[in-house]
Amino acid sequence: MGDQRRSSIRVEQVQKSYAGRMVVDVDELVLGDVPIEGLLGPNGAGKTTLMRMVMNSVSPDAGRITLNSSDGSTTTLSSLPTHKMAHHGVVKSTQVITDFDQLTILDSMLLAVATTGHEFPVRPGAERSLMSANEDEIRSYLERFGFADATAIAMSAGEKKLLDILRCLLLKPSILLLDEPTAGLPDEVTAKVLEVIRELAADGTSVVIVEHDLDVIWELCDEVTFMAEGRVLMKDDPASIRANATVIEKYLGAGHG
Amino acid sequence: MSLDWLDAFLVSGTFGVVEIVGLGLLLHLQVGLTRIANFGVVGFWGLGLYTFGVLYVQVDWPFGEPWQFLFSALAASLAAALAGLVVAWLIADLDSDGALVGTLGFSAIVLILATTQDQLTGGALGLGGLGFPYDLGTTKANELLWLALMTALVGLILGYVWWVHRTPYGRLLIAIGSNEPLARSMGKHTTGAKLTLFAITCGLMGLLGAMHGVMVRFLDIGSLDVGITLAALAGLILGGTARVWGAVIGVLLTVGLFDIVIQFYVPLPQEWFTQAIPVLREAVFGALLVVVLLFRPQGLLGQMRRSKLIRAMHDG
Repeated sequence: MGDQRRSSIRVEQVQKSYAGRMVVDVDELVLGDVPIEGLLGPNGAGKTTLMRMVMNSVSPDAGRITLNSSDGSTTTLSSLPTHKMAHHGVVKSTQVITDFDQLTILDSMLLAVATTGHEFPVRPGAERSLMSANEDEIRSYLERFGFADATAIAMSAGEKKLLDILRCLLLKPSILLLDEPTAGLPDEVTAKVLEVIRELAADGTSVVIVEHDLDVIWELCDEVTFMAEGRVLMKDDPASIRANATVIEKYLGAGHG
Repeated sequence: MSLDWLDAFLVSGTFGVVEIVGLGLLLHLQVGLTRIANFGVVGFWGLGLYTFGVLYVQVDWPFGEPWQFLFSALAASLAAALAGLVVAWLIADLDSDGALVGTLGFSAIVLILATTQDQLTGGALGLGGLGFPYDLGTTKANELLWLALMTALVGLILGYVWWVHRTPYGRLLIAIGSNEPLARSMGKHTTGAKLTLFAITCGLMGLLGAMHGVMVRFLDIGSLDVGITLAALAGLILGGTARVWGAVIGVLLTVGLFDIVIQFYVPLPQEWFTQAIPVLREAVFGALLVVVLLFRPQGLLGQMRRSKLIRAMHDG
């Protein structure tokens, strides 16, 4: 499916300021036109705010953010309620570790795959049909990532983080935004997460990733957008970004590159 | 069949306990799973009671029993469901404090309407003329059958609540209660789910109100005070808000203790029951709420045991 047209997000003349300080000022940017795109920049560059505006959890002061789906349709994301994002295939992992304090790991995964039909207040057999339709996929993820006990509530920060990514994967996104997906994960789990991201991208999902671990960015991304002080300074392949003087000066510092 | 051995007050006392268990179970879905603070139980129950009573008595029905009861009870449930929908919509984006005040305010509106619209409701004087949709010959026999029907209805509610814990719907409610923004980001229409939940549970509270109207056969605005909300809440919180059996155990230990055990099996001077006990009952429920919330906020049965349930359902 590599040559299939991908879903992408177009950001046009988007601005956002807090207390008079401009945190995002993007003239034009297309996210997701390559399988895996990295969003890089120093703290305060506006990466997370931009991601939040894409998800409409923060409204832009000006501008337009649209989704160009792989089927050719166009949707304005800045007017879409949050709960409809996933139905349009736009899914984001959370930067801050978050979970359902009363639900087990298996619950979380079943919640992700359940449709409105399954969640009807009176529907006999819904749980059984939900489980049988998704059991293989859920079991394969559980085996792959080796949760100690899927019927327990996730306890460690790493488990919660991983569970958050798995929830996103189970939503079958066409665009997946990952905000620091590997922060706090042990190395062997990070390797598995990156492997899954690669597979997902190869299957047609456009992945946009914000990450401070530069090795992850250089290794994983097909293209990197570099942001600083709210603006997009350049967009290029990882090697060019890595060698760029501005990037070195503003972000990488001496000794990198 | 002679029922002389049976104390009539025992039947009505048990009816009250069963009814509050039913309200507590519905409240468990709202407060225990979805974590929406509903302090207006009496509003939904009372709207059902009064809609039922007024329709039953004031409308010149072209057909007899049991249709007169069924139509009036259905209308009462729908009125309470609609009220639930509207109240849920109003409080959907509020925090617990806002939801608490909103629902409490709604129950005050119901009391004011019942009091002021006296041409329909009888106001402070009350309204008689309600009756059983059947006649077994004696009042006691009629009441006993009505108690059996109420117990069956609350049994069905208990079964539904038990089942909800084992469905994707229940999981969605728990997810909303645990972390609504996260559930929304997963594509869940959480506001819609909360509205539907309130329509169903408040509609059933209204049906319980209509059932109550038949049993007491008289509309009395005194029944619309905070008492029934307090009883259902105190029972649920004592038993454990997050557990299916919490409302059952808690209400038996509170309302059951006062209205059955003390009333019938503790030899106290007769005048105590008309004077001291009802006041003491409210005071004890209030104090109990404070003590339980301070020292065992999860209630006697404790936290939700989701892991155990999921293990049993999906064998590891």
